[in-house]
Amino acid sequence: MQKLLWAEQQKLRRSKFVWIAVFATVMVAAIIFIGGLVEYDGVRDIDTAGWYMSVAQPLATIFVLSAVTALLGSYIICREEQEDTIKSLQLIPVNEAKLTIAKMIITLIFSILLYLLLFVITFVVEAFLHFSDLSIEMVFGFLKAYFLDGLGIFLAISPIIALVSQMKKGYWLALVITEFYSFIGLFTSMSDNLKALYPITAVFTISGYYDATTSQIILSCMSLLLCVGFAAVILAGMNKTTTNCV
Amino acid sequence: MTNYIIETKQLTKLFGNQKAVNNVNLHVKKGRIYGLLGRNGAGKTTIMKMILGLTSITSGEVDVFGKNIKGREKQVYPRIGAIIETPGFYPNLTGTENLEIFAKLRGTPAPNAVKNALEVVGLPYKDKKLFSEYSLGMKQRLGIANAILHDPELLILDEPTNGLDPIGIAEVRDFIKNLSVERGKTVLISSHILSEISLLADDIGIIDHGVLLEESSMEELRRKNGNYILLHVSDVSKATLILERQFGLKDYSVHDDHMLRIYDTSLDMASVNKALMLDEVSVISSQLCNDTLEDYFRKITGGDGIA
Repeated sequence: MQKLLWAEQQKLRRSKFVWIAVFATVMVAAIIFIGGLVEYDGVRDIDTAGWYMSVAQPLATIFVLSAVTALLGSYIICREEQEDTIKSLQLIPVNEAKLTIAKMIITLIFSILLYLLLFVITFVVEAFLHFSDLSIEMVFGFLKAYFLDGLGIFLAISPIIALVSQMKKGYWLALVITEFYSFIGLFTSMSDNLKALYPITAVFTISGYYDATTSQIILSCMSLLLCVGFAAVILAGMNKTTTNCV
Repeated sequence: MTNYIIETKQLTKLFGNQKAVNNVNLHVKKGRIYGLLGRNGAGKTTIMKMILGLTSITSGEVDVFGKNIKGREKQVYPRIGAIIETPGFYPNLTGTENLEIFAKLRGTPAPNAVKNALEVVGLPYKDKKLFSEYSLGMKQRLGIANAILHDPELLILDEPTNGLDPIGIAEVRDFIKNLSVERGKTVLISSHILSEISLLADDIGIIDHGVLLEESSMEELRRKNGNYILLHVSDVSKATLILERQFGLKDYSVHDDHMLRIYDTSLDMASVNKALMLDEVSVISSQLCNDTLEDYFRKITGGDGIA
């Protein structure tokens, strides 16, 4: 597995999809920042300590990060077929189930890193604007929330990555489906029960963005675990054929 | 114990109702270069894929290193290097980076394996050029480098000279020949170019529309299709008896009840004619023929021949 993980991260060198994801993260952070500069009744949201770090989580997730992570995950899985490297890998031989697990782990790491990048951007801006109003507890609270966002979003979108990889219809489809899937989160967030159940908003219940009861947190955990279960079933179906390999 | 590194028995592949490969019995001997010759779409790649277990077999058997490959991939694949169709690599990486990935995944022990493999095919080590910027010839060379990276005993090369310039083709040919002659590697190579196979292969299999039309050594094929005397007589069995007894002839082949080929062209035909006539065998015609390999292929593949 170590070899496969090393190979997967090597394969991402100079990948345009990594740069697309980083660029998208920076851009969404910039757009939210500009949104915070707009005055409402003579008050600017950006002047409130913690607003930027707090609001960036759901907005970036719903509009950009979940879709970009799904795009990258599907690309990582689909590329072996599309770039015709699967034959060479089969002849090593590489166990396709392990290969897919390695690819999913890389996507998970990437998802967390994107959220940590967003955290760094929002924290630097907050520190620059009102350093004295930030407490260590607040900053570490947000750091934990962003980390859980990265982890949770990967779990929430894992069935889409698996499904698109199985359909072999190209990774851009993952972007479109996930964008729609995330956008529904805007509406489910209006109901207490639905927001705990719907995978995208369930992430925020777990990360602490929403004030939630223990039962809601349990419901959200179950929702995300169900997503992982779906993904595992789809990927297991894809990899049924290969055994006896590295 | 068989001496064949690859042996197929009644190998058949159906795509829908279409037979892509039809009852092919292929025999690749240890340490020899076997050229699989056929037109595009003849079934060469499908046969190679079935040998490697990359596609399912409809019926028949494939033995590699004396045993069925199915379920023994982990033991057998490290002994094989292969290129099937156009070799695929990661476009955002350099040739060296691509090979380093495959070397690591294979667990190639030699520290200079990547450097050596690139040197052999004439590609630079640690070059900055990305695979996406490679020419077709460079891609093909990198595919060959990947196939030999782990020093395999058996090479399965599907049209490895595709896209190479004439000098590149000659280099690859010499390199494959050296691998076989100097290092005892067994090579199964496919091509649709007759001259390429005739210059390289020790044994040849001619495939057309999924059927293996002929399998023999190149030496035998050349012998059969060089200079010969085509003798048209009234009674072939009587004629061969006379030729054997009176002229000590052994190097001939009988084609039907009236035609035979004599490969010893130094034979005195006047004496032969006289001897046959004396024993009441009528000689209808005798002529000196010279078939090229291409003529032969044209004949057995039904007229169109091979490039």
